[in-house]
This record gives sequence, C-alpha cells and structure tokens, in this order.
Amino acid sequence: MRPFSFTSTPIDTAAGRESLADRACGGYATFEGWVRDHNEGRAVRRLEYEAYAALAEREGERIVAEAIARYGVQHAACSHRIGDLALGEMAVWVGVSSKHRSEAFAACRYIIDEIKSRVPIWKKEHYVDGDSGWVNCERCAQPGEHEHTRQQHAHDYSRQIALPEVGLAGQQRLRDGAVLVIGAGGLGVPVLQYLAAAGVGRIGIADGDIVEASNLHRQPLYGVGDIGTSKAVVAAARLRDLNPQGTVAVHAERATAANLGDWLARYDLIVDCSDNLATKFVVNDAAVSLGKPAVFASVYQYEGQLQVYLPREDWPCLRCLWPEAPRDGLVGNCAQAGVLGPVPATLGAMQAMQVLKILLGLPVEPAPALHVFDLLGMHWRSLKAARNPGCDHSPRDLQRPAVDAEAMELEFATLAAARASGLTLVDIREAWERASDDPAAQIEWHLPLSVFMQGTVALPRDGRYLVVCAHGVRSLALTEHLRSLGYPTVYSLTGGLAAF
Amino acid sequence: MRTITLQYFAVLREQAGCSEERVTTTAATPAELYDEASRKHGFTLPMSMLRVAVNEEFCDWSTPLAPNDRVVFIPPVAGG
Repeated sequence: MRPFSFTSTPIDTAAGRESLADRACGGYATFEGWVRDHNEGRAVRRLEYEAYAALAEREGERIVAEAIARYGVQHAACSHRIGDLALGEMAVWVGVSSKHRSEAFAACRYIIDEIKSRVPIWKKEHYVDGDSGWVNCERCAQPGEHEHTRQQHAHDYSRQIALPEVGLAGQQRLRDGAVLVIGAGGLGVPVLQYLAAAGVGRIGIADGDIVEASNLHRQPLYGVGDIGTSKAVVAAARLRDLNPQGTVAVHAERATAANLGDWLARYDLIVDCSDNLATKFVVNDAAVSLGKPAVFASVYQYEGQLQVYLPREDWPCLRCLWPEAPRDGLVGNCAQAGVLGPVPATLGAMQAMQVLKILLGLPVEPAPALHVFDLLGMHWRSLKAARNPGCDHSPRDLQRPAVDAEAMELEFATLAAARASGLTLVDIREAWERASDDPAAQIEWHLPLSVFMQGTVALPRDGRYLVVCAHGVRSLALTEHLRSLGYPTVYSLTGGLAAF
Repeated sequence: MRTITLQYFAVLREQAGCSEERVTTTAATPAELYDEASRKHGFTLPMSMLRVAVNEEFCDWSTPLAPNDRVVFIPPVAGG
C-alpha cells in the first residue's frame, strides 16, 4: 500500500492494517472518517469528493512522511475516497503502527488534521432539501493544533526525506542503522552530531578521555562546565537532547583489540575518529574480521586524510595501504602539531556523509581511494588505492614484539631526580622546541628524533639511557624502537618535560 | 632528465617548506626521487613509512617515472 492514495471504491481497511503489520510494533492506531447525515444544521443526503490528484497525492505522502519522522512511528498510511459516497460510508482511513501507543495516537491525529488542512480535496454536500454546495476541507481543521510536547517536537526529517536518494525508505534505513564511533574528539564531535541529527537509530560512543580545556576550540559539543568529565558520557547526554528518538550507548574506555570485537558485533559499521595509529589499526582489524564497513579519517595541522573500508574482496583495508603499521610518535611531532577546529570538523562532516551513504545503500565512491585534503592550500586529491596482494586482510599484532610499555617508562618527580638516577639523559626534541632558558638545557645529550630517524646515530649499546621529549610520546616510540634494535637499558621519561 | 611535479603532505610539507614543487631530475623511480628530495630537504621519515602515488594512483617505489608525472609522498597521519 502506498503511504497516501485515493480510491473510488470502498477503502479496504484489512489490507491497510496488513500493510502496517510489524512484529517490532506494539500498537496500531487508526482513524476512520465517515459521511454523516448533517452539517452546520443542514441534513445531508450524500457526499461527493473531488481532488486535484497529482498535487494531492504528493502532499498526502509528504504528510505521512512528516508524521513518521516527527513521532518516530514505524509505519503509517492514509487512504481517501473520491467520487460519490452514501451516508455512513468511510471517506478517509488513517493507520499507524509503532512501538508504543502514545506516538501512534499522536501520529494518527497529525495525519488526519494535516490532510484536512493541506490536501486539496473538496467535498460537495447534497442536502435533503435538494440543494447542494462545495465545501473545501480546509475549513475542517485548524492547522497547528497538535500537542506541543517535547517528544513531538523532537525532529522533522522532511528536508532530507525530500531528497530522492533518501525518501521514506531511506529514513527508515537510517532509523534501523547502528553506528559505533571511536573517539569523541575533533572528528568524532561532528560525526556524532550529524548522525544523531539525521536520525540514525543507535549510536555507540567509545572514548576513554575526559574533556580538557584544550579540547574546546575544536570540539564545540563540550563546554567549560564539562571539563574533567568523561567525553563519552557528556557527548551521549548532548546527543540524547539533540534527538531523543535515537538510542546512545556509552563505552567510556579506550578501544583495544581486546574489547572492540565485542562492541562492534552489535553495530552495522564503525567510524574511526581516534587520534593515534595504534587505535586505527585496531579498528581496521575489527572491521575486517567482522566484515563491517569502516570510515577512517585523520588530520595533521591543515591536512586531512579520509578512507573508507568496505567488506568486499576487491577493496583495500588500512593495512593494504600501510603494510608496516607505523608507530605513533615516529611520524609527526606529537602534541606540538597544532590544529584549527574547522580542519577536523570538515573531515568529520565528510565521515558522517560517507556513513549516511553506506546506511542508505548509496554508492560510497566510484573506486577505493585515499582522499587527501589540504585546507590551507585548498587542494583535494583522491589517490586511487587497490587491494594489496601482499595483504591477506587478517588482523596482526600491533605491538611487535609484545613489549610492556610500562617497563619502558620511568617516572621522576623532578629533572634533578632524573639526572641523579645515573641514567644518561637524551633530549630528542628538535632544536626549535628548546627555549634558551630551558631547564632541560642542562641535559648533556641533544639528539633530535629527526636525526635518529635518519639512522646515522650510533649510541653505545651498553649505555643506560633516559629518553626525554616534550610530552613523552616520541620518547616512548623511540625507546620501543631502540629496544627492538637491541638496546636493553633504554627508558622513556613518563609524560616528558611537561610533567615537571 | 625529466620534469616532475612533486607534492608534499604533513611533516614532509613542513620539512620541505612548500607543498608543491617542480623538479628536473634524472631519477627513474619514485624511490630515487625520494632519496633526492630527502637530501635536498632533510626529510627525516624513512621511505618504509611512506606511500607514494603517481598521477593520483598509489604505486610501487620502483614504478618507472615519465616526464610530467605528478608524484605525491604521503606519510600516515593520526590526529583526531
């Protein structure tokens, strides 16, 4: 049955009811409009309905779509008679099925009221005294008299339903969709907001971090009052407010190879909005092994990269592109890189777009590619990527060999205490990072990471070293690297010089 | 000698001090070209951590270069 139709024969309510039946629904509400024997004091003998069918059907379908979106009901339909009707005959039928009764009643009421006020239908009343007259149904209802509760004002998706690629069926697909978002930071915030606003039915937020003051410039979902609170918890509360029709699940911890598989099993696809390579590869492995699409993005200063993985034989995964999962800290320069809010916001909005396309069943892109954006120079390159024959799409261990990061990090209360430990301190910050009055100027060895990476530094292997950088990210990466090269007594200063 | 357009991203762009340049080179492959650019700009990333694309398509480091090719060196980025 079409969402809105005209019929010149009696309305088949049984067929209408059948078309709305759904085991997910716990309620079914209907309204029937009958031809009565009087109107405004005059006895009526019969009625004649006429409609401008092309326009009326379009408007009728729009009203049904609005009711579904506005009240979050599962299904709705309306059928209207045209032509001659006798007393007692059914002139209009509205049916709604939904999980719960209250929205079924509300949506049913909305449809009949809006049909009567907006759809171009005229009725000619034939009176008992032989007279007759046309009555435009516009008189029958006052627009805007629906109850103004929070639930009913929640959302109106009509502006996206109006798109031919979305429509009612697409909106239903979004409502049935379940998306897991890893990271609720600069990328995750727009992803979460646009998915919730578009009516994605179930969203999971995974983030183990708390809101920090330095996040706010690029994560405007959070406010100063949220500082110190779990990002996932705050984001979930905002999304519930943004769209009470959806459900939001919180995973307030970092995604790891140990927990992600269990989480992802309950979702249709995963969005990687994390800020580190280790997590991105964990996300890739979970998506590939469970056969779910993944939408990746990363930013660096003014640049961003976007890549979609689809579970298809010919489609490259993240490891096809980066066979040597690079270590965090060895690429880029940790916390100093800097970023302007619109850069992750742009990439996050693009991720949300790709997610909606996947949920809607639209083509995601003509061919697999890594899209590279430079928002300073305003370049966008789509670099075609192919399945790497050397990649078997199977998960691999990220930490090679399984080393215990804790055993590689040492914590000291002061720089003096570190110096007194007997370890040789090695400052790997670049020259431009060191101020002239830097307390770390007392450190004997300054060997920038970039020099190490060129492979020209030869440290005595039997030395005992404490590697130091600004925040402890690069120093840990280099420590891991040196350990794997056979330096047994290299350590990283926990938290870097910023810890003092 | 062939003229190639080179494009840099992320940390390579910072180290090169530009996002794009045209070079005239004897390099026959992206690998040779990266060596050459590394010496010129002091790139710190080893080739093993990068990917290269020629004419908007990822390829091997040993793919032969042709005049007027457009070569992009891409490091992985992780910010979010």
